[in-house]
Amino acid sequence: MEKKYWQSIEEYKEQKKGTDVQKDPLPEFSVEGLDESEIKGKSSRRDFLKMLGFSVSAVALVSSCQTPVRKAIPFLTQPEELVPGIPNFYASTFFDGNDYCSILVKTRENRPIKIEGNDMSPLSRGGTSARVQASVLNLYDDARLKNPYKDGAETDWATIDKEVKEQLEALGLSGRKVVLITSTVISPTTKKLINEFTAKYPNVEWVTYDTISYEAIRKAHELNFGKAVIPDYNFEKAKVVVGFNADYMGTWLDPVSFTKQFSKNRKILKGNTEMSRLYQYESRLSLTGSNTDYRYGIKPSDEATVLLNLYNEIAKATGMSTYNVNSSPVDISKAALDLLENKGSSLVVSGTNNLNIQLIVNAINNALENYGTTLCIGNPINLKQGNESAMAQVVSEMNNGKVDGLLLYNVNPVYDYYNAKSFAEGLKKVGFTLSFADTKDETAELCQYIAPDHNYLESWNDAEPVKGELSIVQPAIRPIFNTRQFQDSLMKWTGISGDFSDYLENNWKGILGEDGFASAWNNVKHNGVYSLPKEDMQESPVFNEQKLSAAAGGDGLELVLYEKIAMGTGKYANNPWLLEMPDPITTATWDNYVCVPVKYAEQEGLKHEDVVKINGELELPVLVQPGQPDGTISIALGYGRTAAGKAGNDVGKNVFYLMNVSNGYADVAGAEVTLEKVAGKTYELALTQMHHTMEGRPIARETTLQEYIKNPYSGNEEHLKDEKNNVTLYTKVDYDGIQWGMTIDLTSCTGCGNCIIACQAENNVPVIGKDQVRRRRIMHWMRIDRYFSDNIDNPKVYHMPVMCQHCDNAPCENVCPVAATNHSDEGLNQMAYNRCIGTRYCINNCPYKVRRFNWYEFVNNNNFDYNMNSELGKLVLNPDVIVRQRGVVEKCSLCVQRLQAKKLEAKRENRPLRDGEVQTACSQSCPTDAIQFGNLKDEKSVVVSNNKEERMYHLMEQLHTLPSTSYLTKIVNKEA
Amino acid sequence: MILSVSVVKNHLRYKRFLLLSGIFTLLLFSQISFGQSAEAETNFAVCKACHTIGGGQLVGPDLQGITERRDEAWIIKFVQNSQALIEAGDAVAIQVFEENSKIPMPPNNLTDDQVRDILLYIENGGKVAASEVVEVETEETVASQETVQAETPAEAVSGRKDMRNMQITFVVLLILMLISLFDLFVTKILKEKWIHYIIILTALYIGGEVLFVEATSLGRQQYYQPDQPVWFSHKVHAGQNQIDCMYCHFTADKSMHAGIPPVAVCMNCHNQVKSGKITGESEIAKVTEAYANKKPIEWIKVHNVPDHVYFNHAQHVEVGKVDCEECHGAVEEMDEIVQVEDLSMGWCIDCHRTKEVQFANNKFYEQYTRMHEKLISGEKVKVTVADMGGEDCQRCHY
Repeated sequence: MEKKYWQSIEEYKEQKKGTDVQKDPLPEFSVEGLDESEIKGKSSRRDFLKMLGFSVSAVALVSSCQTPVRKAIPFLTQPEELVPGIPNFYASTFFDGNDYCSILVKTRENRPIKIEGNDMSPLSRGGTSARVQASVLNLYDDARLKNPYKDGAETDWATIDKEVKEQLEALGLSGRKVVLITSTVISPTTKKLINEFTAKYPNVEWVTYDTISYEAIRKAHELNFGKAVIPDYNFEKAKVVVGFNADYMGTWLDPVSFTKQFSKNRKILKGNTEMSRLYQYESRLSLTGSNTDYRYGIKPSDEATVLLNLYNEIAKATGMSTYNVNSSPVDISKAALDLLENKGSSLVVSGTNNLNIQLIVNAINNALENYGTTLCIGNPINLKQGNESAMAQVVSEMNNGKVDGLLLYNVNPVYDYYNAKSFAEGLKKVGFTLSFADTKDETAELCQYIAPDHNYLESWNDAEPVKGELSIVQPAIRPIFNTRQFQDSLMKWTGISGDFSDYLENNWKGILGEDGFASAWNNVKHNGVYSLPKEDMQESPVFNEQKLSAAAGGDGLELVLYEKIAMGTGKYANNPWLLEMPDPITTATWDNYVCVPVKYAEQEGLKHEDVVKINGELELPVLVQPGQPDGTISIALGYGRTAAGKAGNDVGKNVFYLMNVSNGYADVAGAEVTLEKVAGKTYELALTQMHHTMEGRPIARETTLQEYIKNPYSGNEEHLKDEKNNVTLYTKVDYDGIQWGMTIDLTSCTGCGNCIIACQAENNVPVIGKDQVRRRRIMHWMRIDRYFSDNIDNPKVYHMPVMCQHCDNAPCENVCPVAATNHSDEGLNQMAYNRCIGTRYCINNCPYKVRRFNWYEFVNNNNFDYNMNSELGKLVLNPDVIVRQRGVVEKCSLCVQRLQAKKLEAKRENRPLRDGEVQTACSQSCPTDAIQFGNLKDEKSVVVSNNKEERMYHLMEQLHTLPSTSYLTKIVNKEA
Repeated sequence: MILSVSVVKNHLRYKRFLLLSGIFTLLLFSQISFGQSAEAETNFAVCKACHTIGGGQLVGPDLQGITERRDEAWIIKFVQNSQALIEAGDAVAIQVFEENSKIPMPPNNLTDDQVRDILLYIENGGKVAASEVVEVETEETVASQETVQAETPAEAVSGRKDMRNMQITFVVLLILMLISLFDLFVTKILKEKWIHYIIILTALYIGGEVLFVEATSLGRQQYYQPDQPVWFSHKVHAGQNQIDCMYCHFTADKSMHAGIPPVAVCMNCHNQVKSGKITGESEIAKVTEAYANKKPIEWIKVHNVPDHVYFNHAQHVEVGKVDCEECHGAVEEMDEIVQVEDLSMGWCIDCHRTKEVQFANNKFYEQYTRMHEKLISGEKVKVTVADMGGEDCQRCHY
């Protein structure tokens, strides 16, 4: 029996009513929002004459122009490693205070144009996240400061150095307190430097501040094991993972590494039938929850109760004492059974910053003997070192006039501190304030001095995200502006000579040893990563039991704040790629909104796009979200910036002040709020969800592991039928040598959206703005369709990447009147932009709706004032891919520029292509390796072996389009 | 409108023609002022780049008294091809080579007699023997004129001429057509109306063709020859001095761009060579100045393809083993570079349809098993670029 999938609430209701197939599908092109004249299509004779006159003179003018003189300016002396036209890759590290990723920076003619994952990293293993992919655009952000500032006016570094030194010395002599607030610093060398700085100025106190704190995990481990650490989680060794509000696939702690790890256990390929099982208990529909085998919706205030019940179950089975607790509102016996069965190879994690909850989690993991296997205290994770009480202390001291100097590095508390108002007021009472921010952000605006830091792609640094796993940050471009690295500034003021790269090198001499340092150091810079020799990890940590408790849950409406996959905590709010990236769950772009449960919306009469007031003051639009647990609402953090830059200012609302602060821990979830409808007021949201309805057909196919073992074709029975039905009079196209193909494993795909941004960066895909997205014109070459099925209160969720399927029997090709789209000798469905006349017949005839039309010129157009309308922003464009003009259709080319480049490389090296060497942007960056790419004519390739799986099917194969892209049925490790 | 286009284009061509003829005249004069002497003097111009007669060491040794120091037969061999002599292990040649910082003397296409002439010229202290001057004069003038003609390849000149003729034809026909129309409806002088019809139809046909040809060449730059910031002669470098293309354009086999040589590459030789035989010191000084002042030379790009075309030199030069001249023409005969081919898509595709790929020589093509079978069975005789997908849109447009 095929499942009935639905994409939106409206569609769900339609199905409920018994209309299986939507009778009136929403039009691809909508007239809502168009001008009157546009709708009527009225144009007078006068208009015609005007147009005629204009076009005639324009043509005359254009064609009479002289050939533009193009210059070719060579180097004076060409650096040996730089060849114009050939990319260079530099290993580096992305770390922005929150997320870590080891990367390769692709540079062309010395300018970074793309970020790729570093295969050599034992942590991120070549994976990236959407934010990592998009970070290259931040380098070319117009909002970046071009010079240092003093009192709001540009100044020079000599003035800054002189005055800051004077200030620091004067404050030091009088013993006045200066505070240096930084984000988490994971660089051992920078730490050493900061310590030297504070040694020189002993009146400086160093405080670490995280926007979203994980301090409770550290504190709980201090109480239980005597070490205030975040243990290293190993999802790869865990056969059962039970998560509590921990979005470890999306935003929690180190999502890229965790995704790489857990997905290794969920590959049902080549006869393997072993699969880990994932449980998620959560208070909103997170990316992780949408991918786990079992998901339960709970209220934040019930989390402790549920956890303690789980603990009791396990304690009972292992003969330990239990605690008195209310009964759990959701089933935990199944999870408990699975955990007990996999003692020592299971994992319980919670993302809640609440000491009590983290103590229960530790107790469960300890009872399951997971310490030493899936959790490692000896080699802890160094991310998230924020100290909340110290920060709170500083803010109160600032307000009491006890702080006379403030240095802020990589933090923006005026925007993202939960008590931002108090921070901003305190800041005004501090005499000497300096920010190292690279843009004039909310905090820097209020500071006396701004000493702008380099972008990370211009910097030297190192990183130690997990103890013993080092990686290097090296510049891929000379500083574009008159900025200076934070570390260099500190060195100047501490009186250390040289620059930070020397300092770094000297420090690494201590790590690598003086002997043969030069070559070892080169090796580190080449690999980007360096693992210290592993110490003996035979740890048997002594567990100090703590008393556990769980208060009864509240009755009020509880608010859950969350980081969006794209926007995070709002640091990159001015990045148009991220602003326009559809959220994997809501598919919304460009805004934050209140997700309300379906039932609650029905009760209160709330509809999609209605405006509501939170706590009687904050107005936000409503998005009715299936899977949002009863009694909760959720709002994304990271929006509502006022000083981010032209793209990011005043997009959405700032909700950091709604954090739930209790016992000194600020948590994103649990604040009780009130919600009331603002009568008659609506706010438009730009969702990409409604314009790709697939009308109840078996698109995303699914089966359970049990069924699959019984019958490998289960869930995919249609495929056999379609194979039989698909007969044709024509001979099948047969390619010689190369036929490019792609396979997408729906079991692995988490829908994280990293591939969308990778594709956007690689293929110069324009950003078109909220209004155009609302008109269903989003330009992304690939999208991730999200389907819901079954229960609307706790639906099953399917993520399905869809890009051009490169059909051998392509419907688009037959209808093009000018043969602008046709088939290549290598199985590519090609699109010749310069031949396209924009009839859009192909778009109408494509069953997959993957073709995009350039409704406007998106380059050098003030109406689309994003990166392509800025001289600086355009530096990110890939020179191997053309920027499409207005009026032509575009679509996924399977990264043909990469295919051509790798073929050339093989030809030059006089060898056949190797499987896996040719990667598209999406397949290369995929953190779960769900997308595989290769040559279908190479019998040994991964794509061929994937296509031999019984799970393989083509999207809408009943249409006999013969796509080169295939999908593998999603397998859920769930008992029926 | 279309008329205005052609007029403007015509005007431009006219300007270009004026400019070119100006250059020709100038060159003619400069050549003539040198050309008053015997052939030996012209031939020695090549040598003068590196040698003096009694002026001391330059790149190569001072040639005064060379005939006394060395045996004539040896000199002839050395002048014609010094490297061959060195490779053959001639002790004297090797010694000379090493004494002069191992800078090889380029081979020269001179006959034995021509070399002997030069030697006489040297013995004479760099003066032409009076008896010979008159005898050679007329011949030399002709020769120098020929060289001037060859400055731009003959094909380019005639190509431009063709276009001018077409413009004149177009205008003449247009006038004829207007006259006959006027006569047909207003003056009615000629009673035989068929004459009008024939004139109008012919004018329409030919005019249409001219328009078509002109329109297709819009945006193309065949015979484009901009003035470069430095009067650099490929004829001297690639032609007379036989410097390999890839010595300067050293990324042509690696990258999509052939690469304009960095000034440092020029300085490899022009550290020593400070005076050119055509332009003297003025042009080379620009190069050395650029190097000293660290200001790169802003060359004007001659061969341009539209933005939507991806062209890769490495694919053609290294993999396809296409000679540079096949697309760039006889560069070794051009002083300032001119675009010989129109670089149109038709021109690209024509080559792709006929050019053989390195099918047997490159292991990359091993995976094309069916094509190999066809070759063995004799169904195919050769594998062209088009057989390997060379006509696909997305080989060049993406």
